[in-house]
Amino acid sequence: MEMFPQLILNSIIAGAVYALVALGFNFIYGVQKFFNLAHGTMAAIGGYAAFYFAKILGLDTYVAIILGVALAGFVGFSLDKFIYLPLRRRKASNMVLLVASLGAMTALQAVIAILFSSRFKTLSGNVDTQKLFTILGGVITQTQLVILLSVALIMIGLVVLFCKTQFGKAIRAISDDEEVARIIGINTNKIIGYVFFIGSAITGFAGILVGFDVGIEPTMGLNLLLKGVIASIVGGVGNIYGGVLGAFLLGFVENFGIWKISGEWKDAIAFALLIVFLIFRPRGIMNK
Amino acid sequence: MEYLIHLAILFAIYAILGVSLNLVVGYTGLLSVTHAAFYGVGAYTTAIFLTKSSVGFFSSLILGITIAAAVSFLIGAVLSKFKGDYYALGTFGFNAIIFAVLLNWQNLTEGPLGIPGISRPELFGINFANNFNFMVLALLFLILVYFTSRFVINSSFGRVLKAIREDETAVGVFGYNTLYFKLVIFVISAAMAAVAGSLFASYITFIDPSSFQLTESMFILAIIILGGLANLRGSILGALFLILLPEILRFVGFPSDIAAQIRQVAYGMILILLMLYRPQGLIGEYKL
Repeated sequence: MEMFPQLILNSIIAGAVYALVALGFNFIYGVQKFFNLAHGTMAAIGGYAAFYFAKILGLDTYVAIILGVALAGFVGFSLDKFIYLPLRRRKASNMVLLVASLGAMTALQAVIAILFSSRFKTLSGNVDTQKLFTILGGVITQTQLVILLSVALIMIGLVVLFCKTQFGKAIRAISDDEEVARIIGINTNKIIGYVFFIGSAITGFAGILVGFDVGIEPTMGLNLLLKGVIASIVGGVGNIYGGVLGAFLLGFVENFGIWKISGEWKDAIAFALLIVFLIFRPRGIMNK
Repeated sequence: MEYLIHLAILFAIYAILGVSLNLVVGYTGLLSVTHAAFYGVGAYTTAIFLTKSSVGFFSSLILGITIAAAVSFLIGAVLSKFKGDYYALGTFGFNAIIFAVLLNWQNLTEGPLGIPGISRPELFGINFANNFNFMVLALLFLILVYFTSRFVINSSFGRVLKAIREDETAVGVFGYNTLYFKLVIFVISAAMAAVAGSLFASYITFIDPSSFQLTESMFILAIIILGGLANLRGSILGALFLILLPEILRFVGFPSDIAAQIRQVAYGMILILLMLYRPQGLIGEYKL
């Protein structure tokens, strides 16, 4: 196995997972401009729900995935309904929303740990039987191939939704100015609720993919979210393309950063990238 | 009785952390989630000097304060340029980076294995290996930190901090260099956190990086938000409440691993409910 092609493949795969989380995060950030820390936990919820339906209830894998995605979406939707919406009505500051989402994250994570224990679990049956593909001298598993394909599909789907539909138009209006959007008759709270559902469902799906590729644990959300947020900021927060671009850039920087040093430094490298961008280009690559 | 002394020592350590963080978050209005990093720098400095050299506890304490101040000066110099939620995000990054350094600088910190066998202090013939004596020492430090903080916030310097919190631009217009004020209070707060770290290392006699993660910073933040921002007594109250809460849950009789998670659920719910119904905390004077 050669080092260089493998590093490129690893970067692309890591980037693809971050891209999914960043897509979900950016989608929500567009209509509700605060750092939703509970967003990453949707990945854990998706992953664990799929684990429960597939491994414990023994449902078909595809059904379990769909149920997991739906549940993650539903939890995200509920968080908006019961926590963020009342706060929004009270015109709470971003900080208040951030702290509330921190509380939601802590509580949800712990609930998952109570239900499933905090031990590491994996969604894939047995890793050894997975098909391996060799591309340009690097090895890629079947799961990872699925990850790449689904990221591409979801991104195209979101772009179509965003640019071509009435719903997307409403989202863009809210993103520009929620007050004005409401005045011209858009039911903003309803739209924001849907956006939370979709954004959380995407991240839930990311959690499931991670579960197949690596494994799930209750605290997986925070790390995924922070990577997603870093990707969003690097690419341009609130910008769908920017998030994806930032995610792949982050994947490459992380994986090539540990070429010569221990893999434990990955997170530090990711955050160093964030801080460099916060200092020199806080609006990200894509935003004007 | 031993047990109550143990709780009192933990309370003193977290009250120091709470009071010092409140200087930054409550009085200056900067949402910092990196306090555990300086807590860790203090703890590691003490641990390393006590186990690997003949330096005594109090000298190691001073060294810890100095190193934490130096590190926080560098970090604060970068952070002072940010505002609002970007500031919070930057602090996330620095906490993760310091954690990675503690975890990976194996020659110095022993990495994930941690440092065992840290000795208790001894001064003027008083041996603090006795827990009661140690409690008195910890409470003395708490009093010292409390009155130092009170002195800082009641000075003209403290009034500028509060003004920055209310309107940074306006303070700048009056000719104050706000970056300088934000940086100085950040360093003072970090130096105090290092004191708590030294006490912790010497009391528990064993430390590893896991005590200084992002989640610990969030816990300290929960203390001051619960007690009340911009109120030093509030931070002490918050520390008391959040240290005692798990003990109350313990008496309810959950098995210990579930109890730990239920505690997390309780922390999370407390944060959410506070944000929804009482964003200024129990006795706070400032709302986020």
